[in-house]
Amino acid sequence: HPHSRPRHPGARTMLPLLLLLLPAAHGIAQLRYRPALSREPPLEGLTTASTFVLDQPRCVFKDYGNADIWLVVALEQAVSTFNNTAGPGTPETAFQGFPDPVRAYMTLNATLANYPCPKPDGDITVLRVGSETSCAQDVMRPTCNGPLPGPGPYRVKFLALEGSVPVAETAWSVPIMLRTAKSPSSISTTGSGHSAGMIAITTILSILFAILLAGLVAMLVFWGSDSCGGSSTFSKPESVTVRRYNTHHVYDQPAARL
Amino acid sequence: MAKSDDCVHILQGLLVFGNVIIGMCGIALTAECIYFVSSPHGLYPLLKATENSDIYAAAWIGIFVGLALFALSILGIIGVIKASRSLLLVYIILMLITFAFEMASCITAATHQDSLTPELFLKQMLERYQEPANNSDNEVTKTWNELMLQNHCCGVLGPSDWQEYTSAFRLTHSDADYPWPRTCCVLDARGLPVNLDGCKLGVPGYYNSNGCYDAISGPVNTHAWGVAWFGFAILCWTFCVLLGTMFYWSGIEY
Repeated sequence: HPHSRPRHPGARTMLPLLLLLLPAAHGIAQLRYRPALSREPPLEGLTTASTFVLDQPRCVFKDYGNADIWLVVALEQAVSTFNNTAGPGTPETAFQGFPDPVRAYMTLNATLANYPCPKPDGDITVLRVGSETSCAQDVMRPTCNGPLPGPGPYRVKFLALEGSVPVAETAWSVPIMLRTAKSPSSISTTGSGHSAGMIAITTILSILFAILLAGLVAMLVFWGSDSCGGSSTFSKPESVTVRRYNTHHVYDQPAARL
Repeated sequence: MAKSDDCVHILQGLLVFGNVIIGMCGIALTAECIYFVSSPHGLYPLLKATENSDIYAAAWIGIFVGLALFALSILGIIGVIKASRSLLLVYIILMLITFAFEMASCITAATHQDSLTPELFLKQMLERYQEPANNSDNEVTKTWNELMLQNHCCGVLGPSDWQEYTSAFRLTHSDADYPWPRTCCVLDARGLPVNLDGCKLGVPGYYNSNGCYDAISGPVNTHAWGVAWFGFAILCWTFCVLLGTMFYWSGIEY
């Protein structure tokens, strides 16, 4: 509920107090919640090149059941200059004008009913910023949750509006950087060189082949000569060769007689 | 005499035995290489696209070398039993030629196995995967889709391949709608994602978080090892048999 205005008509001593309180009456409740990228469960698509995933602000806007809760997405340098009274759906906060000239846009309209408290266990309660591609170019939809145009960095906060009056806001998040994709031609495919196995195979086979070639050359060179085979000549199975026959006794006998 | 006859018979027996083993190994090599060439894993389009299909050339050589080894082993057995110098000389020369071819096949298989790194497949996938498959990269896209469906995997190293690098796929599919291809999602019986938002967010259980490199490199490595190292083993055995044959030949009486 909005802050109540103090009413002390005609009480002059209360004028300074009134003046002091008036700025506070226009103040917005600063909620102690900082939007952050979703941590549980771990998501592969937490940040992509054009989207990121936030936790829903459960149990944060408990006192603001009548308010519309908007998400403000801003370039980092636009955080200090963002005006909370800028209305959603106006050209100053239209997604289609982001990032130039619009420096912060408002999207993802919700009410407290969308963020029931407490969060049921096991439910995944996230907001995917950048998931609506159909309205990204449609100026009739200035509150489109369109894909982000660059890698950032971006900062977000939640803003509760009653009618067009801002009543509560969260803190700005830390800067969120999105992913930048590299070109596939930057992948080096020169390989890790030659493995030990391949070197072993090549070396050993080359040596074996060289030995065999040497053996073949030796065979052909010594073809026909019995010099190598003299002591180990094999006999063919069909032919019978008589190696030695003793002729000693034929010559010895005449010598013995004489 | 009897002793050297025994030596002869032992040597002949050993050579016959060696040739029988060579013959059987030749048949086995042929069968193995035919199996690899007609690979049921369907990875040939991927290898062809990387211009690295020399492993298949090595397998083709292996088929013919295997048949040649079988035929030559029979020739060798006949030559040893008949102790014929001319037959054995022909046998030795032809075996050396076969040895050279098989050596080339082994070295090719071993070299190209080293060059099939994840980066090679990653680059090829990013540059050629396009859904729906157009004409020029039809084979690559279909092979990747089948691979991802059958093995429940995504990309080469993981779905973040599609995030870390730009790709042909990214040119036609926006990052917000398709952080990774739909084939990376867990699909139901009709081929539609079980939970599309869960898949796009990357919620565990609704998308495939593993990379496909293991599914590719497993069969290819087995293939390359089969051709390279089995061939190497056969060649070592053949070397011994050939040396024995040369020794036997030089001892045959002219």
